Amino acid sequence: MAVVSTLNSVIAEGRWFNWGQLKASIAEKFDLDVIRHRRVMFAAESELHAASLVVAGLTAGMDFGIVEIRQVTPQLLDRFYVEGITLSSTKTDAKLSRDPFVSNFKPGRVTVLTSGTTGVPKLIEHSSNSLNTFDRLRNVRPRNWFVPYQIGSYAWYQMIFLSLFVDGQSLILGQADDLMGSFDEALKNKRVDAVSATPTFWRQAAMSIEPEVLSSSGIKSLSLGGEVVDQSILDYLSDMFPDAEIKHIFASSETGAAIVVSDRKAGFSAKLLEQDHRKGIELRVDEGRLQILSRYGSCDKTSEWIDTGDLVELVDDRVYFRGRADNSMINVGGQKAYPAAIEAVLLEHPSVLWARVSAQRAPLVGYLPQAKVVLSQIRDEQELELVLTSFCEERLPEHAVPRLWSFLEDIPIAKSLKS
Amino acid sequence: MTRTEILGIMNHVMVKKGRAELSDETAKTRESNFRSLDFSEVALRIETEIGRELNFDATTMRRIETIKDVLDFFEHTMKA
Repeated sequence: MAVVSTLNSVIAEGRWFNWGQLKASIAEKFDLDVIRHRRVMFAAESELHAASLVVAGLTAGMDFGIVEIRQVTPQLLDRFYVEGITLSSTKTDAKLSRDPFVSNFKPGRVTVLTSGTTGVPKLIEHSSNSLNTFDRLRNVRPRNWFVPYQIGSYAWYQMIFLSLFVDGQSLILGQADDLMGSFDEALKNKRVDAVSATPTFWRQAAMSIEPEVLSSSGIKSLSLGGEVVDQSILDYLSDMFPDAEIKHIFASSETGAAIVVSDRKAGFSAKLLEQDHRKGIELRVDEGRLQILSRYGSCDKTSEWIDTGDLVELVDDRVYFRGRADNSMINVGGQKAYPAAIEAVLLEHPSVLWARVSAQRAPLVGYLPQAKVVLSQIRDEQELELVLTSFCEERLPEHAVPRLWSFLEDIPIAKSLKS
Repeated sequence: MTRTEILGIMNHVMVKKGRAELSDETAKTRESNFRSLDFSEVALRIETEIGRELNFDATTMRRIETIKDVLDFFEHTMKA
């Protein structure tokens, strides 16, 4: 598939480029023919280098993927070895890993890494066809997108592909070592009018960036995803950017971008469960778990239902996310409590900027819910524990009310921009 | 940990839940609105305070009826 928008801009490290220049920057220094018939992961040393590698790899029809060099661990190298992958650097012109265990070459494949939150990142097979989910879009307005995502993740590829395949979509690449600083600078310089990020990114932005800088930035389009998008963050962004188009998107490395919601409400309409299969995406709920069949999914799973592992609940005509099936239920003396539902209640409180609820092992009842909270402003913590307990008691069953509280100074944000 | 300190933890939980403090040791736990989840939270807070897990004997637990029984139980269990 040919890259169609080589003239879209990419801004990084204070400099402007177009995709044609970035492709040429790789070709000048490195002969891709040397590794054209191998399955390769490129070790990227910067956001700009990573973007350059994608356009070079795609146009050469390679079997490739991108990994940030700081993300490479001995365990990940072992996984590459078993999967038949060579880790390569275009900067040092060298292989960074031993020759793989097997030869496993498939031209046109693009390997996406999962966030690795629960261990070594998994390798998900995509192609330029499955990653280009933008063939659904019509009449797209020109935008300058701030890209905060971790190099090599599905969300990162989505933004790169948006700019490569849709006219007028330029990117401002956030710098991982000072993400909020680079965002603040881009806002102040009026370079950004669109942002794709996680709710945790926005909560950190609310703590780090002056409200006037945000509100006067002229942002016109917002995409949210990567985590459960709760009503409080949608309300915050609606207030901050009243004229902006706000969408939240359910996407994962395996299912691809599958659900787009633009009514500024949490969850999604139950009507989507009856969605016409001709659109290429079908949804169903099986024993409370969301399953997706999508032509934008991982290449080896486009014809099968994928269990997302996400728990959902139908309330009236709306489907709400309730957390992950594998680790999200707290058994309190035989009664079920769902952290995502408790967090959603906490985030309704005006003093709460961020909340995370987990299970604390406790005598007699097995587990009790405990809450970690970041406040939007300095408050007396003992007083607030009483206030939040009372607030939860009015909205949750007794067993779901957090019993233990920790008040953190900062949001513990991971490189995946999730918390 | 003294009996007074245990009562202090119990009352911390009661106040947090918007209920009256416990003052009459002869009062029944049910009448005082001191519930099983409260008992579990108090036990967890005591374990955290003393840095070790308590041993909960089911037979003794079943005999608990009053606030005094709760205090006796924790005092006894901590010494065990």
